[in-house]
Amino acid sequence: MARKILLVDDEAGFTELLKMNLERAGGYEVRIENDSTKALAAVRSFMPDAILLDVVMPGMDGGDVQAQLQANPLLARIPIVMLTALVDSTELSEGAVAQAGSQMVLPKPVNLPLLLRVLDDILPAETAA
Amino acid sequence: MEKHSIVESVLDNLPVAVFAKDATDSFRFVLWNKKQEEVTTLRAGKAIGKNDYDLFSQESADYFRSVDKAVIQRGSLMKVPEEIIETKNGREVHLRTVKIPVHDEETGRLLVVGISEDITEQVKSREQLERLNRHLVQANEELQRTQLQLIQAEKLESIGRLAAGVAHEVKNPLALLLLGVDYLSQGIDPGDPNVATILTQMRDAVDRADRIVRGLVDFSSQRALTREATQLDRVVDEVLLLVKHELTRSNVKVSVRIEKDLPIVFLDMSKFEQVLINLIINAVHAMSGAESKQLKIRARAETLEGVVRNEGARTRELFRSGDRVVVLEILDNGTGIAPADAGRLFDPFFTTKPTGLGTGLGLSVARRIVELHGGLLILENRGKEPGAVARLLLPTKIETGKVRTVAQPGKIDEPSKKVDTKTKKLAP
Repeated sequence: MARKILLVDDEAGFTELLKMNLERAGGYEVRIENDSTKALAAVRSFMPDAILLDVVMPGMDGGDVQAQLQANPLLARIPIVMLTALVDSTELSEGAVAQAGSQMVLPKPVNLPLLLRVLDDILPAETAA
Repeated sequence: MEKHSIVESVLDNLPVAVFAKDATDSFRFVLWNKKQEEVTTLRAGKAIGKNDYDLFSQESADYFRSVDKAVIQRGSLMKVPEEIIETKNGREVHLRTVKIPVHDEETGRLLVVGISEDITEQVKSREQLERLNRHLVQANEELQRTQLQLIQAEKLESIGRLAAGVAHEVKNPLALLLLGVDYLSQGIDPGDPNVATILTQMRDAVDRADRIVRGLVDFSSQRALTREATQLDRVVDEVLLLVKHELTRSNVKVSVRIEKDLPIVFLDMSKFEQVLINLIINAVHAMSGAESKQLKIRARAETLEGVVRNEGARTRELFRSGDRVVVLEILDNGTGIAPADAGRLFDPFFTTKPTGLGTGLGLSVARRIVELHGGLLILENRGKEPGAVARLLLPTKIETGKVRTVAQPGKIDEPSKKVDTKTKKLAP
């Protein structure tokens, strides 16, 4: 069974190419949500195995989305990987990343092999079900 | 003779120097009043019966003689706006002289009568005024240079504030490019429909990064004020690109409404962008506590009628009723301007922001830049709605070169002749 990944990022081009890369790597079913205010609904309907979440987004930022997920016991267990183009680490902490207890923060541009390794680490293997 | 002594007495008490030369007798002096003695430091007894060549230097005498001959030839009054006589004791006396041809019917002699006013003090005052004016012009140029330096310093500060955001905006296209490279480097299958999409996306990403970087470089440029015919919407687009990150990060919704076919304005893009960035960042800070942050940018053309409220005097200085202006407004829904702060907003170093968030130079520099554009910057509360509005009034005509007013010498009907009247030929 393919592992389900939800991509939440307002950069449509970026999500489209990341989706292509993950699908080509194999074993992933990827859904894109470019509007962060709809992220919670997307999580509920898709129930992903992991969420790749951008930090700086209009409407709701990554920290807000994560806080909402944490508040819901059913959704809180879904691992989140934060993706960010922020250069200033102080800005990152303002994004409430630390408090929300995200498991991993990866900088943009994303190192794809590293991302695939991270996903392998945090997700149960495809075969192990 | 009674009549003669009355005339002499009158002449000697006149506050002007009076002399007469006999044109029919080698232009010898026949009249030399008290004031003329004072001005030339030559007693009448020494001068009467002598001519200019006996009393003054060759060059000066030549000049006096040429004017005298012209007076006789023209048969009418001539004005010499300024001439200089150097007296025996080395003092320079500036004179304004009128020469009149007089025909003495009794003796049949043709006289050149001269009346000279001592304008030495006036000339000195004028020269002093010119000197002061030159100093003032220099000081003004110095001030303008300093202002441009201040503008640049403030700009560098905004660049510092924007740098992280701009880097963020560049990193996003870079992220996309890397994903494209990752995908394509695994081999290109000719039948893969993704390839075309990826290449298009990659090209767009390069364009986007290029635009942002170019925007920042243009903004950073340090030049003297150079105004060019500019479409206002272009400036607004460029600025929004540079502050996009700040707006997104602070969760500010932006709406832009710029009237179609807005008249061209004459802007120094880089400096004007500095103003807009400053006003937008201020607005974002003012909205930090607001629930739903809304920034509105509006631009329209207006014909001024009467004066704009609150800024009557300043507006009257810059604009006239009937002037066509472009009005640009930046509206926020933040805390607004506290009455206590209203009068100090444009004061240098005045800031309501916590230490480290602002130097307090932003608005004073912004206003100066707008004034250098012949425009006006007004900050006020929105009134009915919460928040403040920054309103910019920009002329749609570039002012024609203003005439610099300098102390001008009085009206002259002949070119001024300065005469170096040496007194070495004093001996008869």
